[in-house]
Amino acid sequence: MKKMITFTINGELRSVEVEPNDILLHILRDKLGVTSPKIGCERGDCGTCTILLNGKSVRSCLMLAVEADGQEIITVEGLSDDGLTPLQDAFIKHNSFQCGFCAPGMILAATELLEKNPHPTKGEVKEAIAGNLCRCTGYEPIIEAVLDVSSQSN
Amino acid sequence: MSQANQIKGKIMEELKYIGKSFPRIDGKEKVTGAAQYVDDLEYGPNLLHTEIVESTEPFAKIIKIDTSRAEKVPGVVTVITGKDFPYKFGLYMKDRYIMAQDVVRFVGEQVAAVIARDPKTARRAAKLVKVKYEPLTPVFDQMEAIKKNPILIHPDLGEYTHVPWFYPKAKTNIAHWKKVRLGDMEKGFAEADVILEDTYHVPRYAHCCMESHIAVGKLDQADRLTVWSSSQSPHTQRHLFAEALAPLGFTHKDIRVITPFIGGGFGGKAGVTMEILAAAFATKVKGNPVKVRWTRAQEFYNTYMRQAVLSKLKMGAKKDGTITAFEISNYWDAGPYVEYGANVVNASGLSAAGPYRIPNVKIDSLCIYTNLPAAGPYRGFGYSEMMFGVESHMERMAQKLGMDPVEFRKKNAFKGGDLLVYGAPMNANGFDECIDRVAEAIEYGKKAVSEDPNKVIGKGIAGAWKGPAMPPNASSSAFLKFSEDGSINILVSGIDMGQGYLTVMAQIAAEILTVPVEKIRTENPDTDRNAYEWQTVASHVTWSCGNAVKRAALDAREQIFETVHAAYLYDKSTLYLEDECVKCTIDPEFSLPLKDFVIDGIMVKDGTFRGGPILGKGMFMPEFSSTKSDPETSQGGKPNVHYTVGAGGLIIEIDKETGKVKVLKVAEAFDVGKAINPDLVNGQILGGFMQGLATALYEDMRFGENGEILNPNFTDYKIPTALDIPDEIIPIIVEVPQNDGPYGARGIGEHTMIPVMPAIANAVEDALGIRIKSMPITAEKIAMAIKAGVKEVD
Amino acid sequence: MAIAHEFEYFKPESLEEAVKLKARYGDRARLLAGGTDLIVKINDELESPEAVIDLKGIKEMKRLEFKDGRLFIGPLVTFSELIDSPEVREKFPLFIEAAETVASGSIRNRATLVGNICSAVPSLDSGTPLLTYEAEVIARGEDGERTIPIAEWFVGPKKNALKEGEIVVGVSIPEPPKKHGGCYVKLGRYRGEDLAQVGVGILALEGNEYRVAFCAVGPIASRADKIEKLLQGKKLDNGLIEEAIKLVPEEIAPIDDIRATGEYRMHMAGVMLGRGLRAAVARLNGQGPEYGISVI
Ligand code: FES
Ligand code: FES
Repeated sequence: MKKMITFTINGELRSVEVEPNDILLHILRDKLGVTSPKIGCERGDCGTCTILLNGKSVRSCLMLAVEADGQEIITVEGLSDDGLTPLQDAFIKHNSFQCGFCAPGMILAATELLEKNPHPTKGEVKEAIAGNLCRCTGYEPIIEAVLDVSSQSN
Repeated sequence: MSQANQIKGKIMEELKYIGKSFPRIDGKEKVTGAAQYVDDLEYGPNLLHTEIVESTEPFAKIIKIDTSRAEKVPGVVTVITGKDFPYKFGLYMKDRYIMAQDVVRFVGEQVAAVIARDPKTARRAAKLVKVKYEPLTPVFDQMEAIKKNPILIHPDLGEYTHVPWFYPKAKTNIAHWKKVRLGDMEKGFAEADVILEDTYHVPRYAHCCMESHIAVGKLDQADRLTVWSSSQSPHTQRHLFAEALAPLGFTHKDIRVITPFIGGGFGGKAGVTMEILAAAFATKVKGNPVKVRWTRAQEFYNTYMRQAVLSKLKMGAKKDGTITAFEISNYWDAGPYVEYGANVVNASGLSAAGPYRIPNVKIDSLCIYTNLPAAGPYRGFGYSEMMFGVESHMERMAQKLGMDPVEFRKKNAFKGGDLLVYGAPMNANGFDECIDRVAEAIEYGKKAVSEDPNKVIGKGIAGAWKGPAMPPNASSSAFLKFSEDGSINILVSGIDMGQGYLTVMAQIAAEILTVPVEKIRTENPDTDRNAYEWQTVASHVTWSCGNAVKRAALDAREQIFETVHAAYLYDKSTLYLEDECVKCTIDPEFSLPLKDFVIDGIMVKDGTFRGGPILGKGMFMPEFSSTKSDPETSQGGKPNVHYTVGAGGLIIEIDKETGKVKVLKVAEAFDVGKAINPDLVNGQILGGFMQGLATALYEDMRFGENGEILNPNFTDYKIPTALDIPDEIIPIIVEVPQNDGPYGARGIGEHTMIPVMPAIANAVEDALGIRIKSMPITAEKIAMAIKAGVKEVD
Repeated sequence: MAIAHEFEYFKPESLEEAVKLKARYGDRARLLAGGTDLIVKINDELESPEAVIDLKGIKEMKRLEFKDGRLFIGPLVTFSELIDSPEVREKFPLFIEAAETVASGSIRNRATLVGNICSAVPSLDSGTPLLTYEAEVIARGEDGERTIPIAEWFVGPKKNALKEGEIVVGVSIPEPPKKHGGCYVKLGRYRGEDLAQVGVGILALEGNEYRVAFCAVGPIASRADKIEKLLQGKKLDNGLIEEAIKLVPEEIAPIDDIRATGEYRMHMAGVMLGRGLRAAVARLNGQGPEYGISVI
């Protein structure tokens, strides 16, 4: 049984028809063309599918699309209206990605942290991104980027 | 030298772009989500989806495949079985079919495929395909597989085609047997004061790229086959697709492979694995693109995993620390298809004695078929595996001799010009400097004591080396073209799987052409348009493609000077480039911006133009390399173009009750020849170290009774998180130039994970006095060894 | 991978409506709160419900409240919400210490405590604090509400005491009668997110009173009665800890699986019990490691 759902994605209200068993990650990617959330494991283990749902990071592979009805979603495509956020700039400066596949999810997880806690300790940064796997960087450059942003803000 | 030439010479000497840590040119794309990977591209509304029916048997005859029920499901376009494509493929050895034919050889092998309009239908219908098997007796252990009268996994092995440097043994399970013989073993061991003999075991591991394998194939109405694939090897894929699909009338011209960004490779996306399915399936659904995307589980068992190796080592040394003889038998568990994996066995076989000058060496490196999933290339290409034994053994030998392990290694290390075990000379290298600096960074030899009475601290060190494993004629090429504003597109076919290749190529072109890196794009491959590259493997693209790009840039520069000469008549030898302008040593006033003419040419007095679009091209093939050698001894030839050497050292703290290991400090030093972009080199050290650490401490693949992997997911196959990194990592770059490398550079991508496993084992012994001879060294293994009071763990 | 199994989706707006739906479908319906467990199971085809009843439309199920000495946690309260509540942290520090080890942040933003206990997996991190704080589960069926002591809640691996047609409407936790210190010790294969291979939850209350529970070392999470009996009324010292550790084999029955051997689990349960007891008592006395710092 198909159902029409409507939600805000990156500031725009959009509607899409879904089936109850559709996964949000697939709908975002295949029906709405929002491809920054990636398919990494589809069982909640890796964080490449991370989105911000009402400001909180969640795994879109573990959500039915119907659950998004009436909610607000942000992905890296919609993080900023003009240019890059300081965190995105810091990611470039510190080489905080290699293949880049984890980067969208990683940036969202770190964005959530900085919103909540603008001056985290190194331990808090690690904890905040611990659910996002990166096989390439060894994490240190990602942590550096987050701490760099923290030290620049007041 | 004239003043003019001095100016020119000075400019040539000072490197403006090489050796500087420019930000990655793909940065903005990757942090904004703009970077597109295969699954992010749009294939249109007629895209088809695939579900694979996999073997449930480790080794069995296929008696019957019933697809009738699946075919009737609405939305199913077609159901394919192996018989639709009775074609073999393989890079180095053709030992596998596109899909299983009459026999399946591991749990998870592709037996049939359902192609449907949507993924849900495909998944539902695939469950309706019924396969009847007649089980055969499988063999999962490589030592079992080479016993007398074994069950043959490939009874026709003797008839398989393969590269000339492979030596399969017909009527056995030995797919390739690499032998190295040097000197006189008996004499070598007789000269030794100490002989140490032991066995080491390294199990299988998975690459765990965050992006799993994916390929989309489309055969259009005009019979052109395009494959979009997440691959390290687009040109090699085109070649292998053309070979495998030749019976259907395909030639290279009919096939195009496009590779956008890829989400990690680590060797797992080298050559061809599942991508052949997309290419083949497309031929059955003309006009419709068809997507094959591996699930995380399939990514574990049906691409290539890393091969396991059992190393039997026997080393003899004199009291003064001279190694007199080294006998090595490496038994590789390669799985049922070794078309790529056999070359891992080959390459690492040649170098299995480590970076040490030893007069008497005997190496046997055996690639053995088993009924576990197929295994093959993985970052380190056999060296990550076999160096665990070598560097554990080196450490123990030093202890037996009462020598400092660093001094022992240095005493025996290859210097530039020394002859390698197969007779070719070793390149100049900074091994000594690497190991010294690592030892210094971790204060090796100085005992540290933990503040916590439950904990002990240990230090470990290990050397590393690796040469690119590639055919002697593996080559790279590059096109370089300008736009009207003087910006540049470099068209190459290497893959930036994260290492920063796109940026490094831009830096090389920038250096020659004085165009800033920000004004250069390096394009991802499209075999129709970009210049040829063999593969992005073997840590060789910076070196090989870097040379090609450098030549392309020099070619472009020559054309630029030609044009200026034609228009202004300055002698070409007086022209040079500076800040995106052509300048002249004899006319300081002259300065012509590149953008003024690189497309449009230069107008001369009569209103006609000279020049035209500048289009550089460059090629590099190592013309000095050869695999021609004696099959019984490997003497002769120059199979490795060079080696990159280095060392790693670390300080760990072990909780004696829990067995948990915490890495307090790490130092890794590698001789990269020349770091074109030091930050990117450091990135390889950090990332490679962590990948190595994960294999040493956490990743623990388990198999069930049928040889099926029990933990094909990140829930139970643990790759490290941000919480698991060492407290401190010190990357150290050593630069002894590679004379044939671009600006002296050589590769570094794989090497950084090689020293980690033995360094951990050595540190564990230093801390606890327990020698662990198998990987991984989990907390459980340590705690149980302490509890049992043993001094050695097999 | 798409979910091939089809089901109906309901999002009731009241508890009554939800109870009715649940009664109608019985075991053929699954309740959806955070979904972090359910979606994986449906995808893996371990569960094939005919109906999925999403509880997120029922406002009262979001209730998180401390009143009259009891903490009430509604079925939609996520682990993140618990962790972010200063009141819960202050009154039930052991509970928060365990909650912080559940999966990772973005899972905890969705996963609920009630969902966790309904899964009743032997390794659940929330099991030992709930057991030691002596929580109660409140269930509602068509016949009304009943209260199930947490000690009776876990009835087998992945089995809870809910009757067909019942819905959990909340978990209620009494504040311990006396000042307490606690320690949750979790064995994972590394410091990153992992399922517990052994979990020990300990409460030390003023007056040498102790409560100890284990998870992941038997079919269900449960209190360690013999160990508690031994400890009761005694001041903790090395000798007592040794004796308590000796009793561990009588309390637990760990098995071998791909995550750990039974032997290692047994060994670690002892180590963890010892260190956990020390930390809990130290924390009771205002010393010891901060909550959240693992003692292993
Ligand atoms: S794809 Fe969602 S967590 Fe991995
Ligand atoms: S950059 Fe490749 S996974 Fe993080």
